[in-house]
Amino acid sequence: MQKRRSLFWHLYFPYLITAFVCLVAISWYMARLVTEVSHEEDLADLKAQAIILQKFIGQNFSEEQFGKIDSLLREMAPSTGTRLSVVLPSGKIVADSQEDVSRLDNISSRPEIREALKGKPAAATRHDFDLNAQWSYVAVPLIINGEIAGAVRSAMPVSGGPSGLPRMRTLIIVGGLAIAVLLACASLYVSRRINRPVWELRTGVARFSGGDLRRGIDVGDWAEFGAVADAAYSMAADLHNRLKTVTEQRNELEAVLSSMVEAVFVFDTDERIIRVNRAAERLFQINEAQVRGRSVQETIRNRELHRFVAATLSSEENGGEQDIVIFGDPDIFLQAHAVTLLDAQDQKIGALVVLNDVTRLKTLENIRRDFVANVSHELKTPITSIKGFLETLKEGAIKEPENAERFLDISIRHTQRLDTIIEDLLSLSRIERQSERGEITLEEKPLKDVIEAVGRACLTAARNKNIALECKIEDGLSAKFSSTLLEQALVNLVDNAIKYSEPEKKVEVTAKKEKDEIIITVRDQGCGIPKEHLQRIFERFYRVDKGRSRKEGGTGLGLAIVKHVVNAHRGHVSVESSPGRGSAFSIHLPVTK
Amino acid sequence: MMRIRLRGDIEKLKKRVASLAALVEERFRMAVRALEVKDPWMAEQVIAGDLVIDHEEVDIEEECLKILALHQPVADDLRFIIAVLKMNNDLERIGDLAANIAQQARTIASSDDRIQVPFEYFIMAQKAQEMLRKSLDSLVNVDVNLAYQVCATDDEVDHMKYAMQDEFSREAVKNQVNIESLVNLFLISRHLERIADHATNIAEDVIYMITGRIHRHGRRGPTESP
Repeated sequence: MQKRRSLFWHLYFPYLITAFVCLVAISWYMARLVTEVSHEEDLADLKAQAIILQKFIGQNFSEEQFGKIDSLLREMAPSTGTRLSVVLPSGKIVADSQEDVSRLDNISSRPEIREALKGKPAAATRHDFDLNAQWSYVAVPLIINGEIAGAVRSAMPVSGGPSGLPRMRTLIIVGGLAIAVLLACASLYVSRRINRPVWELRTGVARFSGGDLRRGIDVGDWAEFGAVADAAYSMAADLHNRLKTVTEQRNELEAVLSSMVEAVFVFDTDERIIRVNRAAERLFQINEAQVRGRSVQETIRNRELHRFVAATLSSEENGGEQDIVIFGDPDIFLQAHAVTLLDAQDQKIGALVVLNDVTRLKTLENIRRDFVANVSHELKTPITSIKGFLETLKEGAIKEPENAERFLDISIRHTQRLDTIIEDLLSLSRIERQSERGEITLEEKPLKDVIEAVGRACLTAARNKNIALECKIEDGLSAKFSSTLLEQALVNLVDNAIKYSEPEKKVEVTAKKEKDEIIITVRDQGCGIPKEHLQRIFERFYRVDKGRSRKEGGTGLGLAIVKHVVNAHRGHVSVESSPGRGSAFSIHLPVTK
Repeated sequence: MMRIRLRGDIEKLKKRVASLAALVEERFRMAVRALEVKDPWMAEQVIAGDLVIDHEEVDIEEECLKILALHQPVADDLRFIIAVLKMNNDLERIGDLAANIAQQARTIASSDDRIQVPFEYFIMAQKAQEMLRKSLDSLVNVDVNLAYQVCATDDEVDHMKYAMQDEFSREAVKNQVNIESLVNLFLISRHLERIADHATNIAEDVIYMITGRIHRHGRRGPTESP
């Protein structure tokens, strides 16, 4: 930045220089004038002397007089300080107050002599080589009896000016210094005065940039500064408004991005993160302030995402799509969409990536896929057997009564099984449909009855394996439920408990109230369920141990039915289990006030 | 001008290492998952994907050597390159070990006997995963305290491995029939322990990169506490 000088110096120097230039010019001119005047006075003086001498000589101008005049001149000379000479028309000097006439040259060529000899007094100033100085000469004609008999010349050296000149010089120098000081004071005063409105402007503008636009700037009665003040105020107001608009827009954008469910990333062309929104922070457990400016490889350790970003930035197309999985506990499935960001000149400046969480969709898809596969498998197995046996019978086994009987028995069993499976499936879909349409009626009833009914229904199965079935119900417990549905669900649970327990073990059904829930638990001492299956056992056809379950006659739908029934009651199911020790299935029903 | 080139190359290297680290971490997680759910397909992915890791390792090493030759970096940059050269190796080894685990998973998934992978294995795997995560975090975030934490955890994993080894020896005596499955399980515990070791190595390399002190074999700097 240029070095800036104060106003004072900007004023002072020009003023000072101007003043000095004037001063010098005036004093030089004055000096010349005075010198000229003095010179003229000298010439006048010379002329007077010459005329006096001329008069003195008068009529006495003859050869005998020359010597007398000469000595007379010599006598006079020292007192006047002037050199006087008398000259003949020929140019010969016949009397001189300083030099020896015999040694003097002919001076007829001298201009003043020539003029004088013509009859006119004349003056001249020239350099005398002998004496090496400027001399002034005045010559007047010597007229005797009407004829020009010669000329009288007076001369003196040119003086250096009047005696007062050095004094004048001193005066001028002192005067100059005084002017300098005076000007300094004047400049100081003027600059001070100007500084006041300037200072007002400065503080005013600082105020504007701080946002305070309540009043303008008051500069007093300075027209130009006033114009600047007004311009500054309107500019500040304009900027303020623009800034407000921009801030508002940015806040809107912030609000939109923060409330989005999808995760949004903005990358620059170096694969660095420019922006992330709150959903992205939550998804990847990062912090916007910490990751801003860092590359995606360092901040998010997901190889697929790195490749996706790199591909988007380097490809010719405008964007792309990809599925990305975040492995973890649990896995998160994302659908990523990317768009390249272009600036006003259509140059790529970055990429925008939006990540959609489709885990739920994926899970549902998996469930559906598994379900379809399972149903097909479950139905196919009995049908294959039936088909096989029937074909065998047709091929001739029908003629062997024993085998025929056996084959038919097996086929009937399989048919029964198919029936059960399809019955369960229909049951399940009915419950779902009814639940969706709100066709299930819930009534407030004591639980005791339904649980006792369940006990009765399962008694046979329990006795067959010598398993003790116990029911413990809190007194007077009642809930809002549908008898048929709840009975069906509990029967399924108790049946499972009996099925998966060794003989001589115990199955316990308890019902109690806890806070705002009624919890009915079916606890067994069976083989238990490993941890990794607990999440999925309520899915249709999900089997922990495929071989064993089918042998026991299970359809794989029992728990799914339980879950849907309980959901229809606005409750939920839960399960606890340790392999080798037993399981406890709980139905949670909400208490209605 | 050269400094700008050096910075650019180092930034690129950082990104590559981070990307490889992410890949290795994912593969390890996949291998453990394949073991958990007995998914042969997932196991196959890990085994086949090891090739990519190997290629990346070679590329990164070449990149490091190129930077050293071209720019002759000094001080912080030099330590960084050296640390990268070393952890590059560890990462590749972890990738290999993950592939090994995946192989065991594949064997177990397709085997007939219902050998259950005991819960302790998954706890150990989780520990190893966490150590790896922490050491990689300490690398990208330049966090030396995190790196020290990883070094401290290594002992735990070693103990777990010894416990499993004892269990194995006991079971092997009792259960001669399923010896092959038992051996498979034992190998898995070995792999997990080695992965934890490599994660510790990476943490030590990070400590060197940040402090300039070599933190191995019990040699610790004068101002740190073990």
